Amino acid sequence: MIPTEIAQKLGSALTQGDKDAAVAATQEALAQGIAPVALVQEVIVPALTEVGRRFEDLDIFLPELMAAGEAGNACTDLIEQAILKSGSQMQAEGTVVIGTVKGDIHDIGKNIVASLLKAQGFKVIDLGKDVPAARFLEAAETSHADIIAASALMSITRAGARDVAILLHDRGVRNQFLYIVGGGSITQEYADEIAADGFSETGSGAVELAKSLMAKKRGA
Amino acid sequence: MYANDRLLEIHQRSRTGPFMREVEFDLMLAKRTNELLNEYNIKFDPNLVVPADDDLADRVFQAGLQLLEDIGCYHLDTQRVIKFSRAEILDALRQAPDTLYLGEGRDMVIARHRGIEDPNPPLNLTGPAGQPCSETYYLPLMISYAQEPYVQAIESGATLTYNGYDIMAGSLMEVKAVQRDSATAREAIRRVGKPGMHIGDCATGMTAIGKMAASEPVNLLRPCDGRLVAQMCELKTNDDQLIRVPHLLEYGSHIINLMTPLTGGIGGGPAGVAVVSVAETLMGVVCYFATYHYLSITHIKWTNNSDPWGMYVLAMAGQAMARNSHIVWTDDPFNVNGAGTLENLYEVAGHAIIGSVCGYQQHGVGSTGGNIVDHHTGLEAGFQGEVAIAATRSGITREKANEIALKLLPLYKDTFKDPKLGKPFNELYDLKTITPKQEWQDCYRQAKDTLSKLGLSFTQGPYD
Repeated sequence: MIPTEIAQKLGSALTQGDKDAAVAATQEALAQGIAPVALVQEVIVPALTEVGRRFEDLDIFLPELMAAGEAGNACTDLIEQAILKSGSQMQAEGTVVIGTVKGDIHDIGKNIVASLLKAQGFKVIDLGKDVPAARFLEAAETSHADIIAASALMSITRAGARDVAILLHDRGVRNQFLYIVGGGSITQEYADEIAADGFSETGSGAVELAKSLMAKKRGA
Repeated sequence: MYANDRLLEIHQRSRTGPFMREVEFDLMLAKRTNELLNEYNIKFDPNLVVPADDDLADRVFQAGLQLLEDIGCYHLDTQRVIKFSRAEILDALRQAPDTLYLGEGRDMVIARHRGIEDPNPPLNLTGPAGQPCSETYYLPLMISYAQEPYVQAIESGATLTYNGYDIMAGSLMEVKAVQRDSATAREAIRRVGKPGMHIGDCATGMTAIGKMAASEPVNLLRPCDGRLVAQMCELKTNDDQLIRVPHLLEYGSHIINLMTPLTGGIGGGPAGVAVVSVAETLMGVVCYFATYHYLSITHIKWTNNSDPWGMYVLAMAGQAMARNSHIVWTDDPFNVNGAGTLENLYEVAGHAIIGSVCGYQQHGVGSTGGNIVDHHTGLEAGFQGEVAIAATRSGITREKANEIALKLLPLYKDTFKDPKLGKPFNELYDLKTITPKQEWQDCYRQAKDTLSKLGLSFTQGPYD
């Protein structure tokens, strides 16, 4: 059980996007011997989930979401170090390799999805923008990812999402990864056409999709 | 500073300016914008989407100028900040043109700076506005825009395929598609008897190579035409955008500063985004040598600007630049609803009235949030021009624009979460005659009837 004062201090720092305060609260918690996993599950994930919900409702704007994400990243880095030091491994919901496809430099939507996935306990490897298909595959293989998530805002770049699907197929690894797509230029029809495993129009929808696909994978 | 020196200086600063992670720049921008909103006392009131407050407009301009001076713009490739002094920004603004000659010959139009409640009617520089288009109907679609009597320029849309193959940015397919689509736009204006009409851009080109591939003065885009140079949200550029500038300067072409500020995004709410929009306009002046500017406000969730946030940004950024500069700039309505719906026309109308009253030339239209292929036509684009002129003719003030916009809003706001996508171009138009079918014409007449009751005075339109 995490002491209320620590939980409140860390939770409040995260929701306010105060990175320094969040790091200090995490250090304090770890120094007091609080289990790192409990810190993630009982404070960080709920706090960041709440931030994500408020952003979806537009009660807060993108900077608040980004600041909370930055603070959350700093805390999980510390916690990961603590877990590794103890000889254990951090359990993530799943590993997602994410990026915008080749030619597309519009990454705000992708960044929102990455922040929300992290808030839900996924390990996210963000390849950034303008990512060639081969880099998606390379990163997914290296990190033993569960999911590859590709985003395309502009209609002229969405063929990059098809490129990823074709490469996964050609390399014989299509069944090794779950492949999901999104972004302004992608539709359900297009996702079906390129045989993606899923599509979402919204950030919160992408998280739900990732969770349901992971649940299915675990059940399989 | 000489223009050429400024260009070289921008390059140098993009290599030597302060280094920071992109997220740090974003958060710095958000923080400074919030501070400036307090310093200049700028607040958003959802019941006053078109404030009639000159002092507020001046404060929005000063805050935007201060923002650009304080934080500069971000170069995505080098991760460095390009900074400008206030004197450099104002010097570039002084050098920016106030009068443009768009197109050539008999079809040339003169675009001038417009003031608030300007009695001179706005031009309507329109087209598919970057929306996705099928190659199957591309020529008749472009004709549907070019033939409209309230349209003075067209912008080529973004096709998805070339001979059935996906077009991929940065590949030879992009160049081939740009060449085809620019030629098609030229063919469209020739077919409607306006061979000298200004062509604003070829949106199929995403990269510098694609954009530059349209520079061919006989069959493709001429110096009297234009090309977009875009900013990424917010206040960001990269080499791919900057490369276009010396090319377009040498070609003698119009440079159009494309801004897509996100309401609910890094600039925050509508008040912050109004300030950011001014800063981005000034960045387009300094960095891109823009001959005119194109503000495409985008809601972070619905990718439209027909909501109260979008209206406020449009009104305040427009008034700020109208009172404090002599530049020519345009705005586009981005709607959630598609062509073939009455709601689409109401979204267009609110935007056209505010834009016309707040100092813009018209640009547009984006439908279905720019998402659905071919769900856009010439009719709603011509309608935008007609409404904008009617607003001028009717002497619509800012107060009246506010009243009309807020009366139109309930007619479509319930569709934000569940848009009416309408029908594609080929179902809304007779493809032999390239005229709108009865149902789409009925929507047009009904929308005009509603607007007449709200105080707009129309003359005979193409579908009355």
